Amino acid sequence: MSQPVDSSVSPGRRRALVLLVNTAVAAIGGALSALLGVFALKPAAAASRDRWIRAGALADLEPSVPAVRVLVVPRVDGWYRARAPQTVFLVWDGKKDVRAVSATCSHLGCQVHWDGKDSKFRCPCHGGVYDRTGKVLEGPPPRPLDSLDARIDSADDTVLVRL
Amino acid sequence: MIARLIDWLHDRTGIRTIREVLFDEPLPPGTGWFFTLGSVLLALIGVQLLTGAFLTLYYAPTPDHAYDSVRFISSTTAGRLVRGLHHFGASFMVVAAALHMLRVIGFGSYKPPRELTWLSGLGALGLILAFALTGYLLPWDQRAYWATVVTINISKLAPVAGEMVAGIMQGGAAIGALTLTRWYAAHVIFLPAILIAIIAAHLILMRRKGISGPVRPRPGPPTAFFPTQTARDVTVVSIVLIALVALAWRGMPAMEGPADPTDATFIPRPEWYFLGLFQLLKYFPGKLEVVGAIVIPTALGALLALLPWLDRGPERDPRRRRVTIAGVLAGVVAVVALTTLGWRDKPVSAAAADAWSMRAIGGRQFAATAKCERCHSETGMADPLDQVSLSRGPEWLTGHVTDAEMIAPGLREPPTPVSEREAAALVAYVRQVTSQRYPGYPAPIETAAGVWARYCVGCHVIDGDGGKDGPELSHIGSKHDAATLRGWIVDPEAVKPDTDMPAFGKRLKPEQLDAIAQYLADRK
Repeated sequence: MSQPVDSSVSPGRRRALVLLVNTAVAAIGGALSALLGVFALKPAAAASRDRWIRAGALADLEPSVPAVRVLVVPRVDGWYRARAPQTVFLVWDGKKDVRAVSATCSHLGCQVHWDGKDSKFRCPCHGGVYDRTGKVLEGPPPRPLDSLDARIDSADDTVLVRL
Repeated sequence: MIARLIDWLHDRTGIRTIREVLFDEPLPPGTGWFFTLGSVLLALIGVQLLTGAFLTLYYAPTPDHAYDSVRFISSTTAGRLVRGLHHFGASFMVVAAALHMLRVIGFGSYKPPRELTWLSGLGALGLILAFALTGYLLPWDQRAYWATVVTINISKLAPVAGEMVAGIMQGGAAIGALTLTRWYAAHVIFLPAILIAIIAAHLILMRRKGISGPVRPRPGPPTAFFPTQTARDVTVVSIVLIALVALAWRGMPAMEGPADPTDATFIPRPEWYFLGLFQLLKYFPGKLEVVGAIVIPTALGALLALLPWLDRGPERDPRRRRVTIAGVLAGVVAVVALTTLGWRDKPVSAAAADAWSMRAIGGRQFAATAKCERCHSETGMADPLDQVSLSRGPEWLTGHVTDAEMIAPGLREPPTPVSEREAAALVAYVRQVTSQRYPGYPAPIETAAGVWARYCVGCHVIDGDGGKDGPELSHIGSKHDAATLRGWIVDPEAVKPDTDMPAFGKRLKPEQLDAIAQYLADRK
């Protein structure tokens, strides 16, 4: 098949045109790829921040007995504003101090429960056992249960937990 | 090394023929800058397909989330740019398609054997407009919603199938979730599939019959597309894309509030390329409307489609096709004139949106008393009230402020009951604060606004907002002074025995009476 040739183009001009075409195509393609790459890989950071959430009245707690509370935490997930339930245990020392321990096992994320007979937290999945402060006693968990900031609001004797 | 790899691939796939197909296209001698418009259009379609595909990473086509998701996209620089490219790219496509078409008409390129290339191009133009129409709804803001109301109502005017077409476009009983998913599906699945097929046909036909070239064939052998014509294409495409990026960089027009079917104050306007059509409708009132909305546009489309058979004969030089060229020029002048007239005919109500209505100021008072702050605070479950941004319609918001179960199912004791008027004022407040920080008004105005939004607004209108049972009070201050007005509000029957207005002397505190009377007296 005979190819048409652009006989009017000198070799020098041809080189310049090829350079122009390649540069422009590379610039457009590169700019578009960079923009779309950033757009796809870096969505806006969620504007979620910690809040002090009311976790119930102090009067409902018994000293040194972890009490389970399901707190509803506002979560911003991209454009979606959800309320995520999160389980925490409140441990009151009977006086001025209250601690909050996350119920999420540090091993693989199952929810631990309080075993009142042995006074231990037990994880149902792989047998992790923690004491009332969240320290690991047995099993695979690599670290203690997460503890959360907690305080007593002396104005109305309720417990606040930061989530 | 690379050459050997390509050789290996070519032996198995014939990959080098791609290069021949792309770059060695034979062009008639004298093919010049006018013939770059098709490539511009192709590049713009590419940008639209790419940016559109990436926008779907974050866009959610539901009435509850569409607005928020678009706002989320616009919250980063990259997102603003991608959305800007897609938004302005649509306008660029319409312009490029129109110019490409005018070039084809001017050069008589639709003449045999290229009639089908012409028709496929015309089909692509129709699709581009359909893309523009369907894409316009997706942000689900006021502009989008009301433009779609108008579009669907126009389609109802079509004879015979109008109601059916409108029903298909609308999906459900009203414009809502079903409409949005339909238009979304059309915009991102069906229309692109059809457009790609039509463009493929257009390009295959273009290659099979060759491009038309200059109106008077020049002597000499055909020249290759690469590199001279390629360089021209790339140059024009680069300039167009730089302009597009510049526009996208400058930023999108701000989003309106979220779609609100109850808002009677919003005046819908179409995107600029439909302004001509928009203006045309104004000249055909009442029963004649179908002429402007359906008959003329359809006739115009049919005329264009038949052009190769109306403008017969082999002559392509525009100077010897006076009738065709004059007709098309008249059409262009008409479209430009109508678009300009439509552009100039701007609604005047836009200014009112900046000022806070009395209802909204009053709503702010109620927000402070209705215990909204129990959740809407720095330590609460929700954003503080001066930071909220509305992303739902008014039904949701009214439910939110009146129905405790809806606010937080099973979790909270019911907040203070809220009356219908207080709820309306709260809705007005949240709507206003979404677009604009509270500017701060003097305390007497705030007090007056609280009174106005709870009582007066039921029967009286100020600045177009309120009930119609009593007289309008926008300029009441030019008739009465504060003392007279105060006396009237305290005990209307003492001034005019047969009035229907109840007495407020016992319901309002003295400072409230002073504030509302002074406010009304200041309304000259």
